[in-house]
Amino acid sequence: MDDISVQKIQISGTTLASLIQRVSSSVGDVDGLLFGRVTHITPLTLSDDSSASASATTSDQSTLIATVTSFYSFTSTSTFYSPSGHLDTPTLNNLLSTSSSSDDRLIGWFSGRRKTHLRPSMRESSVTSALASNTQLSSQVQNSPKSHAFPPCIFFLLTTPFQDQLIHTHEYKAFQFQSSTDSFDPKTLDVVNLGPAFRGHYSDFTPKSPFPDLPFEVKGLNCESMVEDLGKKENEKFEKLCDQGLKIERLKNLMGSQASNYTAELEELYNSMLKKLNGLAKLVEQSSARVLEQENHNMKLRYKVAGFE
Amino acid sequence: MAVDSMPPIIYAQLNYLLTHSPHSIKVEQMWSGSKNPGFLDRFTLAIPFCLDYIKWDVIYNAQFPLLAPDIIFGPEDESFRPYHAGGEGDLKPKNSLSDWNCKDPTKLLSLIHELRNLYMAYQKKRVGNVDDERLKFEINTIYSQEGIEMYMSSGFDKPEEVKFAVPLLEMDLNKMVAGSTWRHQQKIYLQVIYPVGRKFSAMSSAPRLKLVSTPELKSLFSIDDFRLPPWLEGMCMAEYLPNLEEILQSQIRDAISSIEVRRKFITALAIPFGRPLEADPVFCRKATFLACSGVFTFLVHFSLPLQFPRQQPALILQSSQHFHSPPGNAPIKSAILQDYPWSPRWDVAEMTERIFEYLMEECLNFKKYCNEVLLQQR
Repeated sequence: MDDISVQKIQISGTTLASLIQRVSSSVGDVDGLLFGRVTHITPLTLSDDSSASASATTSDQSTLIATVTSFYSFTSTSTFYSPSGHLDTPTLNNLLSTSSSSDDRLIGWFSGRRKTHLRPSMRESSVTSALASNTQLSSQVQNSPKSHAFPPCIFFLLTTPFQDQLIHTHEYKAFQFQSSTDSFDPKTLDVVNLGPAFRGHYSDFTPKSPFPDLPFEVKGLNCESMVEDLGKKENEKFEKLCDQGLKIERLKNLMGSQASNYTAELEELYNSMLKKLNGLAKLVEQSSARVLEQENHNMKLRYKVAGFE
Repeated sequence: MAVDSMPPIIYAQLNYLLTHSPHSIKVEQMWSGSKNPGFLDRFTLAIPFCLDYIKWDVIYNAQFPLLAPDIIFGPEDESFRPYHAGGEGDLKPKNSLSDWNCKDPTKLLSLIHELRNLYMAYQKKRVGNVDDERLKFEINTIYSQEGIEMYMSSGFDKPEEVKFAVPLLEMDLNKMVAGSTWRHQQKIYLQVIYPVGRKFSAMSSAPRLKLVSTPELKSLFSIDDFRLPPWLEGMCMAEYLPNLEEILQSQIRDAISSIEVRRKFITALAIPFGRPLEADPVFCRKATFLACSGVFTFLVHFSLPLQFPRQQPALILQSSQHFHSPPGNAPIKSAILQDYPWSPRWDVAEMTERIFEYLMEECLNFKKYCNEVLLQQR
């Protein structure tokens, strides 16, 4: 199988930040799956400088760019592979069916470990190699004139420096694994942010933040206690508004002489939405506290098993 | 070693590795990979390989001490993939990691041992792939010799060269020395370094040769005193080795028989000096006697060179009555005495008698010296 090489790997600033935050906030080592897509881009070779464009067209006819849009992290390492680095396919498929949204495909994985060298370890090499040679997990290259299958061969490595005194607190490197040569190719990681400097990316980068899939009904999301300070009457009104749906035609009323009547109505809608969000935030806070409590409890149990006490 | 701060399960495995390994593996450093520095869960092992050390980082996870460790190899060995996973449905051979059992303290040792063997095969393969006619010839001719380790060194700022570590002599040195307390198998190796050459000059230059022994062997035999036979032009290792081994073998036999010569000398010393306070019973390189001249009592330390009796023993006198002032408080010692009358042709009784006579005079000088030191200290 011929490997297709990506020119670079793109990641949005927020995704990278949240990945780094995930690694640096974890107690020990973590790893997880990377999702995204691979896009075929026909480079713009139009240039005023004729000599430069001539060389560019011959060398860079087509360009593949891998875009990391999201990741899924585990609370421990070694969840979807064995100690010797073989894939645990049933677990992996199970994870994929629950954690990935429809558009994004698995394109690789990451490993975060503190105070280690910034090069793939024995197990990481095995896992990456197994993922890269797994044809079932391949995704199609988008926008491509030909049909290309792209295996999940992207690997991110995140570490921290050995000395604590250094100015920088973390290090990372992105690789593409080439199955044909059995080697890691370091790739430039292109951080895409919003702003004038990145205007050129707008066409090929679609930022999005999928709301986590909550497979079961969240208790209390609609109950009274959550929105304590919201009067019953207002709540009903809010529900009514929501039920009706704020038709786009109604927005037309905001123009012209009648506008003042409707602004009040809208303000009320926003107000109640804010209150509902507030309640939701409180609920999240409470449940995070309980998750933390449970995690600490689990850690104690693990330590007990490992013979610390 | 900080035992307290290492998870007990991991410590048991590391400890077993260090005490039971046939190679003398060392721990270079240990550190913690947790967010809040706590348990030590990673360490660097220096593993002897091809007369050098390879350094591997063993990465455990203190949060999950039951999980198998991971290993980061050296920067030059990125293409070393010991447990290649391969595609799905491939045969998955059993290895030390696949049946990891955290409760079994022998597991880390068997993992490192297995990996070292795989690394040896990997280096052998790399050396085999080097495009150099002479190397190919050498490898083919010495292949039958057992235990040869080879290493291909390459890097940005290093010249490409191939190192061989050829174990010499089939005899078991540990068994040949009666009562030896060596824990590791003593061995002598010939290190042969070939520069990876351009083809046209390949046959001309001799490889760099060096004799290397396990460090503890030096109390029996010093490889620094051994002169390597010359490497003739157009020679290959298969031609060079038998001659070298023959010379070495006879010298080792001499070294072992010289233990007995030294033992006889120490026994003979007991006649004028009385029984030794302390003596090295295995290699007979050291003995200490108590002597006196009038009321002045002192110790005589003998250290016997490997070239004994061609080279005379070195003596050091140590007073039992004069001490340096605090905080040292050490007993006053003489300089090393090596210029006394000596002839290797004397028989043992004469040697000891002459030394005794010499010391009866020399001890007066030493006594004077001790008193002077004491005076200066006041």
